[in-house]
Amino acid sequence: MKKQLVFVILFIGLCAILARPALAIEAEVAQGKCISFSRESGEVIIEEYDTNFSQQHPYGMPTGKHLNIKLTEKTLVGIPPEPGDILRIAYVEREGVPVALRIMNVSKQDLRKK
Amino acid sequence: MRGIKKKLHGIFGLIFALMPSLAWAGGKKASMLVVVADTRRISNPIFHYFANLYNTNITLFALWAVVLTALYGCALGLLMDFIMERTGLDLRTRKIIEH
Amino acid sequence: MDWLYIYMPIAGFKIFWPGLVLIGFSVGVIGGFFGMGGAWMVTPGLNILGFPMAFAIGTDIAHIAGKSMIATFRHGKFGNVDYKLGFVMLVGTMIGIECGARIVMWLERIGQVGRVVRWVYVVFLFLIALMVFVDYAKAVRKKKRGIVEGEKGAEGITWYKTLHRIKIPPMVHFKTAGFTCSAWLPIMVSYATGVLAGFLGIGGGLLRMPALVYFVGCPTHIAVGTDLFEVMISGLYGAFTYSLKGRIELVAVFIMLTGAAIGAQIGTVATKYSKGYGIRVAFGSAVVCCMISIILKQLKYNLPAAILILGAITTISLYIMITMFRGAAAELREKKARMATAHSS
Repeated sequence: MKKQLVFVILFIGLCAILARPALAIEAEVAQGKCISFSRESGEVIIEEYDTNFSQQHPYGMPTGKHLNIKLTEKTLVGIPPEPGDILRIAYVEREGVPVALRIMNVSKQDLRKK
Repeated sequence: MRGIKKKLHGIFGLIFALMPSLAWAGGKKASMLVVVADTRRISNPIFHYFANLYNTNITLFALWAVVLTALYGCALGLLMDFIMERTGLDLRTRKIIEH
Repeated sequence: MDWLYIYMPIAGFKIFWPGLVLIGFSVGVIGGFFGMGGAWMVTPGLNILGFPMAFAIGTDIAHIAGKSMIATFRHGKFGNVDYKLGFVMLVGTMIGIECGARIVMWLERIGQVGRVVRWVYVVFLFLIALMVFVDYAKAVRKKKRGIVEGEKGAEGITWYKTLHRIKIPPMVHFKTAGFTCSAWLPIMVSYATGVLAGFLGIGGGLLRMPALVYFVGCPTHIAVGTDLFEVMISGLYGAFTYSLKGRIELVAVFIMLTGAAIGAQIGTVATKYSKGYGIRVAFGSAVVCCMISIILKQLKYNLPAAILILGAITTISLYIMITMFRGAAAELREKKARMATAHSS
């Protein structure tokens, strides 16, 4: 019983250590239609969609707002986006510029069909 | 039972010793699938935290997943021990079937 | 009907949560009762409920890790473990799981993961069902002839003796298990089961345990303990590698674990009151139903597939639960009566 308690305390301690560095970053998520994507210029532009999902608009309604997001070496890109694809991008603001962390090609990898 | 098990091992051993090499040999270049958790749709702060962590720091997310699963398993184990002791059933003379 | 669906935050779709609870609970009951993991129904079950295949496998393997923690903490220990053997096997198990997971990821990339894993499952479940039914038929035949089954049959298989003669260094002596062999033998055995576990999202105990006995030459009681140890590590490593690959749904893991913890108690207690071989036929039928529902899912009949698999596991768990509650009630009544007579005399 004592051993188990030690384990539990160790785990909780580990959790506390793990929790701290993670709280710092808060990524934004944007979803929308890809307008352009280029590795060379290091930028992806999407037309943002909102979160009003419906049967006719499973990806949300277009807002008409354009969003330019910077690509870096570390950006994780799934299936290469082409103009017209629906993308979901997790990004962080770095010095006022949005920088992409992960880019998901929503329309080309509908997971539900797997 | 034993005879079939023996055959089973042979077949499975062969298939699964060979499969990884097949996977590497036929390594057609295809792009990886990346998933982004849609944090805009999550209002629960705990879910939001984990979904955000998934997007920003997947290694930490993996560590959390393992630690939390293990912790929750331990907690459930202790709780079940506590409950089963109080049912008044004799669980010591039970023949434990383990294969 | 919206409240019946819960949003999965990572994969981003809604899941019928009573189905999740039911799968978790039934796996607990059936696994506890028959003493074998029962994880074979989780991956297909999750897939049929709507999980993408890779997510189903990752979630299943994480739930195995949690379940093995429950078992370990409940019994307080693994039992007889040859830790040296366990650690040597860890190498093979972990590499195997990683290989299995990579095959899954590669199949996902080329868009074949659902189809391939489903068909491998169909073959796998067919073999399990065959094993159960043949076992049952043998028991019936023996009973007819009036042979009382002993605890252990004659040890006819001595493959491990031949395998022990392979002297590829490093040779290792396993003290608790009491044999010496090339370290490569347990590593290869654990590698093969590891690949299977990582690929199908199961614990691998179904194969590892007999492999330890017949190929490695481990005494049965030590094989049982060492296997439990291996299942826990393989589950934890599997959970880690699948979450690192982003194919895990923690919410589902927790929901299923809760169900499994309660179910496992009912299942293990029920073994005490159950008699006869009849229940094995029910188990075999459940495996067959699971297999058919995977085929239905492959043919895109989603609703019948879901109804079949959920119905089959519910029926069998209900049967086990009734066995348990009847038996437990009888035992408690008897205990009360005994106490009463002790007091009166």
